[in-house]
Amino acid sequence: MDWVKTVCLVLWVFTFNSVADDLKEHALKLMTDTPLIDGHNDLPWQMKSLFNNQLNTVDLYKLNSTHTNIPKIKEGHISAQFWAAYVPCNTQYKDAVRQTLEQIDVIHRMCHKYPEVFKFATSSQDILDAFEQNKTASLIGVEGGHSIDSSLGTLRTMYQLGVRYLTITHSCNTPWADNWLVDTGSEPEAHGGLSDFGKQVIREMNRIGMLIDLSHVSEKVMNQVLDISEAPVIFSHSSAYSICNHKRNVPDDVLMRLKEKKGIVMVNFYNDYVTCQKTADISDVADHFDHIRKVAGSSIIGFGGDYDGVPRVPDGLEDVSKYPDLVAELLSRKWSDEEIRDALGRNLLRVFREVEEVRDHQNGTKPDDIPIPFKEVQNSCRTDFGYQYASSSTCIQSFYPVVLVLTLLNKLL
Amino acid sequence: MASEKVVVAPLAIKMVLHNDLALRLRMHFKNKLSNFSIHDNSNFATDIRRLAAGHVGGQVFAAYVLCTAQDKDAVRLTLEQIDVIRRMCTENPEMELVTTAEGMRNSTKIACLISIEGGHSIDSSLPALRMFYQLGVRSMALTHNCNTPWAESSASLYPNYQRKNNSLTDFGKAVVNEMNRLGMLVDLSHSSWETARSVLKHSTAPVLFSHSSAYAICNNVRNIPDDLLLLLKENGGLIMVNFYSSFVACSHNANVSIVADHFDHIKRVIGAESIGIGADYDGAQGFPKGLEDVSKYPALIEELISRNWTEEELAGVLRLNFLRVFQKVEKVRE
Repeated sequence: MDWVKTVCLVLWVFTFNSVADDLKEHALKLMTDTPLIDGHNDLPWQMKSLFNNQLNTVDLYKLNSTHTNIPKIKEGHISAQFWAAYVPCNTQYKDAVRQTLEQIDVIHRMCHKYPEVFKFATSSQDILDAFEQNKTASLIGVEGGHSIDSSLGTLRTMYQLGVRYLTITHSCNTPWADNWLVDTGSEPEAHGGLSDFGKQVIREMNRIGMLIDLSHVSEKVMNQVLDISEAPVIFSHSSAYSICNHKRNVPDDVLMRLKEKKGIVMVNFYNDYVTCQKTADISDVADHFDHIRKVAGSSIIGFGGDYDGVPRVPDGLEDVSKYPDLVAELLSRKWSDEEIRDALGRNLLRVFREVEEVRDHQNGTKPDDIPIPFKEVQNSCRTDFGYQYASSSTCIQSFYPVVLVLTLLNKLL
Repeated sequence: MASEKVVVAPLAIKMVLHNDLALRLRMHFKNKLSNFSIHDNSNFATDIRRLAAGHVGGQVFAAYVLCTAQDKDAVRLTLEQIDVIRRMCTENPEMELVTTAEGMRNSTKIACLISIEGGHSIDSSLPALRMFYQLGVRSMALTHNCNTPWAESSASLYPNYQRKNNSLTDFGKAVVNEMNRLGMLVDLSHSSWETARSVLKHSTAPVLFSHSSAYAICNNVRNIPDDLLLLLKENGGLIMVNFYSSFVACSHNANVSIVADHFDHIKRVIGAESIGIGADYDGAQGFPKGLEDVSKYPALIEELISRNWTEEELAGVLRLNFLRVFQKVEKVRE
């Protein structure tokens, strides 16, 4: 009877593989009719770290030291990607702005260098257009409020340069917002969430149509932003706190509020945020999708892999070519086609459109030009031009004529 | 009758000049445009009413930050100045932001062009330069009153980056190359003569002096000696004459006539087609009698006509020479 067992085993394996193949095929089919929009990829940072942004020396078709390259993007069916323009926290109060411009520039150049693959995008419509053309829509997200150096003018000009989301903090407080480390106790809270200027930043982002990204912020900031933002908000690369209680993840009560606000949480694949351990697999990531769906429904879910921004990714999701396998895993957990399509891209498109509508609705309002109070931002690298003359503080005013003359002398010669 | 005809012809020609109103906005209003009336503001030399009175159709607004911000927050400050200029030019229906020669030519409003006044604004970063271009900046002065790590200023007010015999470094040449490639005007006002000389030899596109006058008439280092004027002619570039009294008369007493002397001299040396107007209003205090603000330009035109400048020459000075140079710079990009 051994031969019967063997035949049964073979049949079972064959069926299993068949089913797996079917699921994968099903996943791929869904991904050809609905764009996969990933919320966060740090390839630009790899360009900086590995090549000092010398793109002319890199071939993105052949690069194999990163999670991301062109063949893998194609295999992964990534139809739209928010590329992170990230600079480390130790540039804060130094040259963060210039370095951020350099990251924005490298993303533009990447798109320019491979026009057959990437289409630079700045709107929900651009994403759809790129999808029609079978290209990967490339958007920019600036990762960390320190990149704007407490300047609304800088925020606006970065928007002009195509930036479409700002992550309010990276892993450091700004002069106007607290980061997630505050919730771990390893860093002192500075603002109890957002300062008044922080609220100005949020309102200005609503006005110009910039997506507000709450990955990396403290819980108080999450809640305060959800209180005041007129537009839906995003978490570009965060997972579920209930599954893995890492402070980079989103607690259930915030997920519920996000649902009310019609926002999106784009699930991060980093092992440490998925299992709270150094190892993980594709099933663990799918658990986050399942949990968020259970708590708040599939309308707030998306993909935010964080590829090339983290050192450890799950087995089965080793690089950006593996998204279809994750979709297949969700299908095996009885996610419907509609739920998958929502998670792939429809949720993000909804959020983006709503943010654009809030912007268009506010078209008549003037830009906010009230600067951050100087004492909140004073540091050795910051000059105070403009503050001296318009300030009503008596100490500074007494120097006004002298300083004005000196300034003019300098300017005229 | 002659003077009436003179006033009518330039009405049709809109002028293009250099203006530091944005600096004033930061200094006096912290860039809070809401507190400032651009239509009528007696604190400054520029406002829409007077631009219209002066028949100014095109204005290059300088996004300028002081040299003391070099190696500090110059980049951020520059972005803020660009933002305030964009806002000024898009929030007022009489003004229009342009970024091409054609845009400037065809505009029916006061056309604004953004420039940067000093290479310290790019913090020695070609990506920053490129991003400024994308924001609409179409001209950059390589230095203001301070040296950059890669170019020298005509002034020695600041100790930064002083050096001998290396007025334009290899990186400086790379900056010029990138500006040529992008189609950004290279402005040599404020640069040292040696830097200017190197650039005039290296640049593949015409360059300009956006607000400098003739050294032969007034020997101030901000002015341009005849030999550099000749190199400029070869390059196909433009010198836009500064009106500031100390530069035109080498004293605080100046008038329309001495300004016209500069025009006459430069025309004699390299021809009227190389000349423009770069008054520098709001960038200084101390302008000639009769040319106190942007509404007074017609007085200069009348003086030049009385010195037998032809309508064609004047049309060039007022506008067409600048547009021609700008167009050539765009061609080099292509």
